[in-house]
Amino acid sequence: MTDKHHHEHKHDDHAPLVEEDDAGNLEGQQITDALQALLIRKGLLSAGEVTLEIQNIEAPGTHLGAKIVARAWTDDNYRQRLLANGKDGASELGIKVGEAQLEVVENTPDIHNLVVCTLCSCYPRSILGQPPSWYISKAYRARAVREPGAILEEFGLVLPKGKKIRLHDSNADLRYLVLPERPPGTETLSEQQLAELVTRDSMIGVATAAPPGSSHV
Amino acid sequence: MEKRKRIPARFQVGDRVEVLDLKLEGHIRTPSYIRGKAGTVIQFCGFFLNPEDLSVGNTSGPVYPLYRVSFAMNSLWPGYERSEDDELCIEIYDHWLNPPES
Amino acid sequence: MRGYHDIGGDDAGPIPKEELPWLYWEKKQEAMRNLLGDATRRLVSLDELRHGFESFGIEKYKRYSFYRRRLEALIDTLEIKGVLTREELEEERARVGRDWEPENTGAASHGKT
Repeated sequence: MTDKHHHEHKHDDHAPLVEEDDAGNLEGQQITDALQALLIRKGLLSAGEVTLEIQNIEAPGTHLGAKIVARAWTDDNYRQRLLANGKDGASELGIKVGEAQLEVVENTPDIHNLVVCTLCSCYPRSILGQPPSWYISKAYRARAVREPGAILEEFGLVLPKGKKIRLHDSNADLRYLVLPERPPGTETLSEQQLAELVTRDSMIGVATAAPPGSSHV
Repeated sequence: MEKRKRIPARFQVGDRVEVLDLKLEGHIRTPSYIRGKAGTVIQFCGFFLNPEDLSVGNTSGPVYPLYRVSFAMNSLWPGYERSEDDELCIEIYDHWLNPPES
Repeated sequence: MRGYHDIGGDDAGPIPKEELPWLYWEKKQEAMRNLLGDATRRLVSLDELRHGFESFGIEKYKRYSFYRRRLEALIDTLEIKGVLTREELEEERARVGRDWEPENTGAASHGKT
């Protein structure tokens, strides 16, 4: 397969994410479709199951993680079960974790957790869906384990002095979900309202949960 | 049916361990930055098939103990300043660990 | 020798914040890998896939985007297993190409099945 198109990226170590340009994406589509057609002809796949599997991988997202977090905020026994076994805790809410194990790591007034996969892109996909581009970028994977304070500041999060950072390099069989601290002033909110405050970035560890009444992505 | 071989777990929570720098080729899940460093076992995760085997299609190898090990950030990075309490936790397979050099 | 993916602790620039859309072909190749790696087929595991893109060589690794790398590693692994050849895939691409139309590449589109 030849590359007869241009990629708009720099060949240096500080290059941001390599993005496909239009020609690259066209080529990606063509190769993927050809691969699917070939595998179907060989009897290894059916078109219907590919479509179903695409739906399966599109289904998880922030909302599933937020549901887990909101329940942990409102039910202390659940929180303890979740911290002891994340997969079982998720199952209680009807959320099936596809990865081997889920480790839920809890933020406290003393500890802030941050998750990275330095070697590739390991992420709790069966709960949160696909990781954001920055999570799989070379810059995040290289720098998060060495200068987490600076990374958090790039995300606009300045931790209080004296709050310790606990980093998790998700390099093997566990996947990690940060349980952010419950924002103050949320005592009267319902579980559903609490879930709306839980952002994807707070479950990776580059942000805290949103304060009540704020609008956020 | 033959029972799958299980590599015995040599460590438990609280043990000090040192990460080896095994000169293995192929698909390795022990990053370079952690090799040669000393930490403390904080969790026994269970027994898992070795990615070094799985990556070449060998699904009949033994299962290996996997641990979460915690390292002080200032022991990993010279000049690390943010806090002496900052730590890094990572999963390491048993065969990549030894008791620390005394 | 240290792999080019083994970058924890390296120097790097600022975190690129722009979030790229997840395109339909990217989802489709993930879906195919999931199915080919399932208990009924066991043709390509995630470990084999990772080993694949870690074995590309640095030039190929740097040239391609994250999802294109996975697609290439998927093809490489299937070829190693004797499931297909790159030549067959090229022929299929030519065959498919006669009637092929690009899908809407937007993340919200589900395209044709």
